Amino acid sequence: MIVVAPAGKGGMLLEMEGITKQFPGVLANDRVDFDVRSGEVHTLLGENGAGKSTLMKVLYGLYPADAGEIRLRGEPAAIGSPSDAIEHGIGMIHQHFMLVPTLTVAENVALGLPTGSRVRQDLRPVRKRIRELSDAYGLQMDPEAYIWQLAVGERQRVEIMKAIYRDVSLLILDEPTSVLTPSEVDDLFVTLRRMTDDGRGLVFISHKLREVMSLSDRITVLRGGRVTGRTVPDETSREDLAHMMVGREVRLAPSRIEVETGEVRLSMSGLNVAGDRGAPAVIDLDLAVRGGEIVGIAGVSGNGQRELAEALAGLRPVESGKAAMGGADTTDMTPKEIRRLGVSYIPEERMRDGAIGDFSVAENLILVDYDSPPMSRRGFLDFKEIEEGCSDLVERFTVKTPSLDTPTSHLSGGNIQKLIIARELSSDPAVLIASQPTRGVDIGAAEYIHSVLMERRAQGTAILLISEDLDEVIGLSDRIAVMFEGRIMGVLDKEEATVGHLGLLMAGVADDAA
Amino acid sequence: MTAPAPPPAVRSRRWKDRIGSPVNVVGAAAVALVLGAGVIAVAGGNPITAYADIVTGTFGSRSTITLMLGEVTPLLLIGLGLAIAFQGRVWNIGAEGQYLVGAVVGGAFAILSPVQASVVLIPAALLVGTAAGAAWGWIVGKFQAVWGVNEVISSLLLNYVAIFGVAYLVRQPLRDPDYYLPQSKLIPSAARLPDLPFLDVHAGLLIGLIFVPVVIYAMGRTPFGFKVRVLGMNRDAARAAGIDTNRLIVKVMMISGGFAGLAGIAQVLGVESRLNNNLDAGYGFTAIITALLGRMRPLGIVLSSVFIATITVGGDIVQRSQQVPRAAVFVLQALFVIVLLVADKLARR
Repeated sequence: MIVVAPAGKGGMLLEMEGITKQFPGVLANDRVDFDVRSGEVHTLLGENGAGKSTLMKVLYGLYPADAGEIRLRGEPAAIGSPSDAIEHGIGMIHQHFMLVPTLTVAENVALGLPTGSRVRQDLRPVRKRIRELSDAYGLQMDPEAYIWQLAVGERQRVEIMKAIYRDVSLLILDEPTSVLTPSEVDDLFVTLRRMTDDGRGLVFISHKLREVMSLSDRITVLRGGRVTGRTVPDETSREDLAHMMVGREVRLAPSRIEVETGEVRLSMSGLNVAGDRGAPAVIDLDLAVRGGEIVGIAGVSGNGQRELAEALAGLRPVESGKAAMGGADTTDMTPKEIRRLGVSYIPEERMRDGAIGDFSVAENLILVDYDSPPMSRRGFLDFKEIEEGCSDLVERFTVKTPSLDTPTSHLSGGNIQKLIIARELSSDPAVLIASQPTRGVDIGAAEYIHSVLMERRAQGTAILLISEDLDEVIGLSDRIAVMFEGRIMGVLDKEEATVGHLGLLMAGVADDAA
Repeated sequence: MTAPAPPPAVRSRRWKDRIGSPVNVVGAAAVALVLGAGVIAVAGGNPITAYADIVTGTFGSRSTITLMLGEVTPLLLIGLGLAIAFQGRVWNIGAEGQYLVGAVVGGAFAILSPVQASVVLIPAALLVGTAAGAAWGWIVGKFQAVWGVNEVISSLLLNYVAIFGVAYLVRQPLRDPDYYLPQSKLIPSAARLPDLPFLDVHAGLLIGLIFVPVVIYAMGRTPFGFKVRVLGMNRDAARAAGIDTNRLIVKVMMISGGFAGLAGIAQVLGVESRLNNNLDAGYGFTAIITALLGRMRPLGIVLSSVFIATITVGGDIVQRSQQVPRAAVFVLQALFVIVLLVADKLARR
């Protein structure tokens, strides 16, 4: 292995100069310069499609660049494949982990390493080394544990262990915090700091501004394939960063007005819902949402939020307990019956449950109302009304689309989400169940979606907002319930909710123990 | 199961979607003809003259055209029903059984009916046959809705229940006691479907052609058609939008089965003289190929059923003219579909 030996801190590790990458119809990288010194965290910030991933894929040998030069430690380097990148001491931690669940930690780490013998592999030295490194970096890892036994945060540590074990000098982390609780994020950052203390360089890809501000040494912002800003945390703010990402002023916190809350529109009492494999996913859940109120549900994904939303929408059977909306018992109702009560649902999986990629924009907009006037009359679809109604919705909800006949899959994630929200809000719902309404959506669209939710709140809709984005939950909600392993760990009023407090609840630490 | 994508948009202005990438069909046809030529050559024939014989032989005389249109009729009727099911990604492989049940139940009704006036008997028998096919489809839909039984498996297996059920019925309860052969009494002449003017083809063809615009309209312009296409595109989204997918699948299976049953009873009243084991002619299976080749669109199915019927009639002609087994020609049918499926996959890259 030709490892670029870590030199003194601050030495130039990587220089990418004038990187240009053209895809059909898209200039993904336009003369991008990017560098990493040893011992620093250099954040690459930008919206989806800004060119972050392309740039890193060029660095990792997954795409050839059309123009530009890559130098490692000042020497021009030709990186034609990931194995070249690995030979040069570059590691990458992908959003989706590259681990074999049926193997142990040590076996996963040893995968792909030279074994010395063709016949049998002796894992003892590997295990020993893992223990040493684990202690040195605070990774708390049992080399003999099987991957399938590990939680998501632990699996990520195995990925980091793989990188450290291979002694990478430059590590790329692609959205590493998206699956972690706030305290796991803190732990991760401690580990990452130890790695930079050793003189390694890190590239941190993220769109979470709070984390970017706390971890980065330097920040490079990309928009539309170009560098639109270079800064350091001390000289910038979250608002400035958002501005650089979007290209205009962005309000990160939606303005809120006092709203007189009305009667309870959505209530759950003693609700129990099973998960896909039959195990309890929602346990004895009690919660009520009044008209004009946004109740946020915070929590790390996989703690029963999806099952709860599906049960409320009528898509998943309720095992026991009761759900009521608009005064009616909806526990055993079909999705259609629930919708008739004035309940709208923004599903978490946009392209699975929310919209049909091969359908046109107009067809997706009438997905719910296709069988009632004005969309259809006397048993036939009324295309004139559909066209008028849909044009109106597209305009009102600023869905950017070339035409109503455009296949929905051609739109950006943010515009697809706006389309779904337009459809779900077109009926002036009394109750709105919004699951991850801005996940994977660009900042501009997220800002707009937030303002629309606040508008609905002002108009008296009872909104249940399920989100993994703490800033979003805190910014929008009047009250925040934290879910952990199917239960509500606590409900906080907006005023008492802090990231720290919520983080503890999200990790399953009950209030009386905290 | 993979298949060509159902038509995406109602009234789409995108030319490619309306026509359904004709380049694929033409390209696939060319590749399939070349591959088929190889098969014919191996079987000892001259591919070029064989192809010429298929076309000139089939369209060369009134009698062969009649034969061909006789083949078109069941394929078109069954194919239309399958088009609806397949657009909803409800994979009804049971058309053969639904066809047979429609044929036998409708035929038995015609034989046993106390009223023997054509005005009443013909429509009533057609309705009974259609209802019987729909009921056979209903079973599949219910199995899927209630127990989640995959419709491919249950509809396929119900074919065999129908095939052997018919074999039993014509041997025992429906058997004409005056004959040794396992066959029913003659279909009463009052129940005979009239022939179309100028052609020796029974009115079933006309029924099929009338249903072509009906299906086009129902799928493109009604809430029902919209629902079925949503079902086909994405069942999760359909459910989230409030569509009762289980009920819809049952309906779709009944409609699809109804078309097959109608094809069966039309065949009995138009072509067959008695109910017997020869009813099991495989139209229900060939219609799957027809529907896929016609890209699940009614107009496409008109073309593909003519095409398949031409190969069927032409295959016999080539067998006589070139001593090539007709099976070598029938290989073409399957080749076309397989090549088309591959072409679709490639086009989606």
